[in-house]
Parts: sequence; C-alpha cells; structure tokens
Amino acid sequence: MTLHCTFTCSLPNGLHARPATALEHVVRGFASEVTLVSERTGASANAKSVLGIVGLDIRHGDVCRVTIEGVDEPEASAAVARFLERDLAHCDDAIPPAPVRPGERPLPRMLLQADGGILHGTPMVPGIGHGRALVIDGFAIPDVLARARTDDPDAELARLEAGLHALDARYEEELAEDGPDVAASIIRAHHAIARDPALHDHLEMSVRKRHLTVAGAIAAADAFFSGMLAASESALLRERALDVGDVCRELFEVIHGTTKVSARARLSADTVCIAENLTPREFLALDRKFLKGLVLEFAASTSHTIVLARSFGIPTLTGVTGLRTATLRDRDVIIDADLGVLITAGNAGTHRYYEMEQARLAGRRAQLRHAATTRAETRDGQAVEIGANIATGEETVAAILEGADGIGLFRTEMLFLNRDDPPSEDEQFEEYRRALIAAAGRPVIIRTLDIGGDKPVPYLRMPHEENPYLGYRAVRMYHEFETLVRTQVRALVRASAFGDLRVMVPMISRLEEARFMRQVVAEEQARCTQDGHVFAPLMQLGAMVEVPSMAFQLDHFCEALDFFSIGTNDLLQYFGAVDRGNDKVAHLHDALSPAFLRLLKKIVDDIHAAGLWVGMCGELAGNAAALPLLVGLGLDELSMAAPRVAEAKAGVRALAAAPCQALLHAALACASVQDVSRLVDAFDGWQPVPLTAPELVVIDADCATREEAIKAVVDRLYVMGRTDQPREVESAVWQREGVYSTAFGHGFAIPHCQSDALKANSLVILRTRQPVAWESLDGEPVSVLVLLAIRESDHAVEHLKILATLARKVMRAGFRERLMNEQDPAVLCRYVMECVGE
Amino acid sequence: MNIVAVTACPTGVAHTYMAAEQLEQTAKSLGHAIKVETQGAMGIENELSQAEIDAADVAIIAADIALEQPERFDRIRKIEVAVHAVLKDPAALFARL
Repeated sequence: MTLHCTFTCSLPNGLHARPATALEHVVRGFASEVTLVSERTGASANAKSVLGIVGLDIRHGDVCRVTIEGVDEPEASAAVARFLERDLAHCDDAIPPAPVRPGERPLPRMLLQADGGILHGTPMVPGIGHGRALVIDGFAIPDVLARARTDDPDAELARLEAGLHALDARYEEELAEDGPDVAASIIRAHHAIARDPALHDHLEMSVRKRHLTVAGAIAAADAFFSGMLAASESALLRERALDVGDVCRELFEVIHGTTKVSARARLSADTVCIAENLTPREFLALDRKFLKGLVLEFAASTSHTIVLARSFGIPTLTGVTGLRTATLRDRDVIIDADLGVLITAGNAGTHRYYEMEQARLAGRRAQLRHAATTRAETRDGQAVEIGANIATGEETVAAILEGADGIGLFRTEMLFLNRDDPPSEDEQFEEYRRALIAAAGRPVIIRTLDIGGDKPVPYLRMPHEENPYLGYRAVRMYHEFETLVRTQVRALVRASAFGDLRVMVPMISRLEEARFMRQVVAEEQARCTQDGHVFAPLMQLGAMVEVPSMAFQLDHFCEALDFFSIGTNDLLQYFGAVDRGNDKVAHLHDALSPAFLRLLKKIVDDIHAAGLWVGMCGELAGNAAALPLLVGLGLDELSMAAPRVAEAKAGVRALAAAPCQALLHAALACASVQDVSRLVDAFDGWQPVPLTAPELVVIDADCATREEAIKAVVDRLYVMGRTDQPREVESAVWQREGVYSTAFGHGFAIPHCQSDALKANSLVILRTRQPVAWESLDGEPVSVLVLLAIRESDHAVEHLKILATLARKVMRAGFRERLMNEQDPAVLCRYVMECVGE
Repeated sequence: MNIVAVTACPTGVAHTYMAAEQLEQTAKSLGHAIKVETQGAMGIENELSQAEIDAADVAIIAADIALEQPERFDRIRKIEVAVHAVLKDPAALFARL
C-alpha cells in the first residue's frame, strides 16, 4: 500500500538547497521509495536526491505531495510527517538585506579629490585591502573533449564509476582534516551533490545513450543542472549552480588528473583577485595569507563563495561597473569594500587617505582592546563581569575583541547536530581547546550536551515526544547515553589544561543529577591521569538554573556544585507555565513580571549566602533596558551575544549600584508587569556620557588640508566609539560647511552637525601641527578645530546649553589663547569643561 | 543707542550664539545698550518683548533662516544681515546704525 501526505510550502525562499538537504537526510535511511510531487507543475522527483528536489523549483505557497512506497512505509511516513510539521519551517535561510548599490553612498571628500581611478561596486564583505591585481579566468572543459564520442561506453562507464568513487573519497578525506566549520559545511554540501542519484543517473545516461565520453558527460551534467538551478526563481537556488559546477570540475580533475585550479591559485605576495566568477573550491585553494580582496563580477550574498569570504574576512566587491579586467592585470589596486570602490590608479592622495583609514581602524581596535581588558564597574564600585554566549570555539576571538570578560555560555549542541555520528573525543577536545586558547586565561563556561526531543539528533534515535521541553532531554538522558557524556567530559577535562574551563550542566532538577556529574568528572579525571593527559584538577563544575525547583533547594545544590548560571528563557517558561513559541500565550513570557523578579532575587541571594558565584546567560542578560534591575540583583556576571557586550559594559559604568537596588526593591513590590515597566522607564539613574574627554582632545594632528582635518576630527569620534558611521557624520559636517564656512577667524573653525549617526553628543578639539588653508572669514588659515557633534533626535538641552556657552566663549581672546597653546590634553579638557560650567 | 537684536543660524548650535556674543561685546565697547534674542536649537532664549522692541532705536536681525515671530519687528527700523557678517566685520555693521 502506498502512503501519501500533502503539504504547502511555507518557506519564503521556496524549497531550496537547505530544506532539500534536510528532507533528503530524513528519508535517506529508509528502504521505501519516497517521491515528491509538485502539484503546481505536476513534476516529480526522488526525495533522496537533493538535486532532484531543488529541480522541482517548489516556491512559497506551492502545494506538494509526498508518496511513500516500500517495506518500511509506516516509519518513513511518520518521519516525513514529523519533518514537515516541525522542522521544515526552521530550514529556511534568512533573506539577506539588499546590499548597497554601486555609487549609492557618497564618497569622502578626500578620496574624491584624490581621483584615483575609482570604480564602483557592490560591497559584499566589508574591509579594505591592498595588493597586486590577479585576474583569474573562468574554467571550462575543453570543447574537443566535451564533444568527443566513444566507441566503448562500458570502458567510459568504468572510468566514471572509478572517478565518482575517488571523488567521494577525496571529500571524505577533506572532511576528516581539521578546517574551519564553514568550509566543512560547504564541503559537506558538495559531497552531497557528488553522491546525488540524479547526478549519477544523468552522467550514466549521457555515456550510455549519447555515447559521450566521461568528460562530455560531465560537461552535459554541469550544463543541465547548473542551467536548471540558474533558471530558478529563487536567488538561493541560482547561487547553487556554482556549487554544481564546482563538483563537476572536481570530478573532471579526479578523472583527468589536471590540477590547473590549484596551480593557478598559488599566491606569493599581497593580492586582490579579480574574476568573473569564483567557485567555493577555487576560493579555498587561494592562500589566504596573501589574499587581500576579492572582486567578482557575479555573486550574490548567499553564494557559498561569499559565505566563505565573509567567514575569513576577505573584503569583497561584486558587480563593479566599468571593470576591464585586461587592463588591471598585475596593477597595484586598493579594494575598499566599506565604501564599495576599487581604486585602480592610486596616487599620493589616495595613499594619504588610506593611511588615515588604517590609523582610524587601528585606533578603534586598540580602543576596543583597552575596553576588553578593563572590567565593568558601577560608579560606586560594584563589578559585573560581562561574558559572551557562543556556539563554536572559533567565535571566541571575536567575542574577546568585542570586550567580553570571558565566555559565559558555550553551547556545545552545534558540535552534535547535523551529522551522522557524534563528534569524537579528539574533535571535541580541539574545539574546546580553541576557545580556551583564544580566551587567554579568561573563564570559559562550557555547557554539556543539551539535546532532546526539540533538537533531534538522528544517531541518538530519540523517541518522538508530545512535550519535549518537559521531557527527556539534557542531563535527564545522560544515564542512557553515558558513553557520549563521558566522551564529552573527557574532552573537557583534557581541555582544562589550557585555561580557566568551567563545566556547566543543563536542566538539573535533582541533587542526584549534580552528584552523578561530579562523580563522572572525578572518574574521567582519574582516567586522564592514567592515560598521561595533563588537566586542571580543580576544574569547576556548575549548573544552569533553569528548572524552578532548584531555586528552593539551593542550600544543598551549593554544597554539591561550584557555580551557577541562570538560564532565563527556560526558567521563565517553566516558572510561568508558558510556551513562548505559542502566540496566544507569548505575552505571558515576560521576564519583568514581579513574581519572576522575586524568584531571581531568591536565587541570587541564596547562592551568594553560600559564598558562590552566580551569572545569567539567558536572553534577559542582554536586555539593555533591564540592566539596572540586573545590577540591582547583584549578579556576578551577565553573558550575552557578543555584539551586545560593549554596550552592556558602558551601561554598567553609567550606573550606580545603590539606586539600582532601590529600583529592584520597588519592582519587587509591584503588582503587575506594567508597573515594573513604568518604573524601569522612569529610572533616572543613568549617568549620561560626558560631552568630552581627554581622549577627544588632540593637540598635535598631522593634517595638510581642510579635508584631512575634518576627517581627522570625525575619525576621533569613531575611534572613541561615539559613532559607528563616521562617513555619515563627516558628510553631515560637510553639508553644514557648505552653507558657509565655520572658520570664523583667528585661526579657529567650529565645524558642527546634527546627526543620529552619533551615539552620544560630543565635543572634539583638534589642533593641527601646521595651519591649514580654509575658506575662513578673515582669510587666515586654521589651526584649531572645535567639533560640535549633536544627535538629531535627542532633546539634550543640557548639552546644547554647554555648546551655546562654548560658542560664546570662542569669541573671547583669552579662551582662544588657551586653546591655541595648552600642551596637556587632559588639562585642556578640564579647562574647557570648567569654562562652560561643567 | 538702545539696540535690540535677534540671531538665528541654520543648525542653531553655534553661530547663533557666537553672533550674539559678538554683538554684545561690540555694543559694549561702543557704549551702546543691547539685548540679543537667540533663536537656536533650544528655541527662543532671552526673548524680546514687544515693549522692549518698541522702546529701542534700531533692530539688528542677523538670521540665515526664517525668523520666529517676525511681526514683532514690523514697526521698528531694521538692519538685516547674514550671521557670518556679524562675525566677520562687526565694526562695519555698527557703523550702519
């Protein structure tokens, strides 16, 4: 009996490669024939072929039918139904934002004036690079080979089979090598294409029926599948055409033994690669030490080559207008994918500009490093560690650069998902070690496996559950999968030799579970001793506080464990009996409810009473508005997504503990969430960012022109983190300068602007080493710039008053004299602020 | 001489106040009485009443943008200049009074 089920494609991008791969994964293991039919076109495909599925071009809203026929029909049907119901909707990729089109952004004055043969393109990966232009030509199977006919199809078929085997082995081998995750995921995708039955069928048919040689069959398959994908309505699918081409070329290489690709890719000096198209493998073959930029004629932001370039931070431009590759060969070029330009005829002016750009970027990095090494403390001295949440070891570097004091939550599930076997001890060890080395002595809290019914892992064969969140997951399944758990613990114990590793166990609700894990750690440490591995014997063991019952037995848990971190998402879900994925009740999932705040207070107080450390790693920890309440709670640490770290640190520094505690106290007494929100909104304990600081006073700037001086003064705002969009600020300053010059005489200029590209109202003073020509009112050059930069939408009357006073002061000779001559930036800063009454 | 004046520049952050300061300093050095209203980013400050305007001999309007409540100056002799003219050559401006 054949089983059927129908569904409507709910994915905005259609059934593209990712969901197709997921479906193929689900049905691969079953003996039954599984066929997918598009009701819109009537076409059908084997669901065990990713290429077949994507070839159906199933779009958003299309009705589809799945038929299942074979010995294991019921099981296969259940698996497909479960996939369609629960997983399909999560298989989509976000539609990337439309990139800025060539020439859409205004270029900085300095660069325009330098006129360095500027070509405009679409920035795909930001960054600036400088190097020799290397033009990479496209590759095609030679026509002679592609059109040749064979008299001996069987011999060709044997070559094809051998080639496909060798290709399979090559991918296996590459996957076994230690490489970056993103490269591995792309190799896995190519591996799947190389194994695809639709590809194999097409290749075989070409030889058998059309008597093509293997080379001809490969060219035909490439043309067919690439053409099919390229014709798709979905941008995501069109991008996959390149991947098919890549696999076909790889197969050709394996069979014909050409290694042109890798030979061509050898770089020996800083290089900007220019190509019509570059396949992911061609990209991977380039020596990234010398690869400073990528200019591609065609590539969308979702293409695998761009994904790779992004993960390696290689500045990339596409669609460069007026690009004539032949004339660029071997020329010195600058790629600026921040602005979206390619400088093809650099000169002294462009070099000076990029010198300043480099200084600007290096200045910001140094500033961030400084912030990263400085702990966040409230104005009255309460320290709060700000950590980052990560899912792979390699994210650690970026998190530390953002200023994280450590890793507050390393979710290890990513290592276990989307694969056929669990990761080995060595693979895990390498991953954890990578994080510890990058953290350079900062604490790294690694959470042991947290999977269950909601995150199915094929090789664990977890039973389907009606209510996975309340079911068999995390520590609750550790007994059954003890080998798996012990492997992970051993990898963690070994990695503990490389820094401050702390192990955290999810979903603990019973004391026995904590004791069990304590015992497992001790036993695996003993085994590591026997095996001669070095490790940190005092590695801390802690727990996520996410099951509410734990909160009422913390006295005992504090005896069994070393530390705690509150996972607010699950804790709130269990505490409030609310599934936040359910729209009808999602509004009840509010972390600012007075009852939940009382629970948090109890947890923090009980753990502190035992003298132990308690952090928070759930969503609430990264909620900027709730920060005063979190400081009021007295948490030792807050861990959040890395991009939020810097802001959270600044937030802590702008607060004082005492008013935060008073706020919390008032919130705990509130009757409703609305009352708490009102209190939080009305909280006035934030200290505003001061208008200026000694770091915003520069007394010896090397600027030759008005353009340089204005860029320098705005760059200072960027370096100090007061804007992330210096070009917008600069352009606003020039706009004002265009009304009439702000150089009012006496060697002074007060450029100013109102722009929301600023993060805080700011005053910068910059003195140039030599006077700079300017269209001034008295015709004299300028040597002191006073930049007044104001946010447009704030009504910060206090700051406007200060600036008004300052504007009056510069009309006085005594004040100007001091600005002209004071040698110490800190003294000058203090003098200015005193003069304006701050 | 009894002078009233208004200053107003495009962004209302700097030149409005610089011009006001310049007018006050120059008037003082020349022995005139002056009251300067500023129309800047903080709105109208040091506002001139109709009585003050009516009692004055002359009004200096140093504005690069449209003035708020211009009708107050309908009955008085006005000298209208650009803001930067005040900064560039205040002596020349006062010579016209």
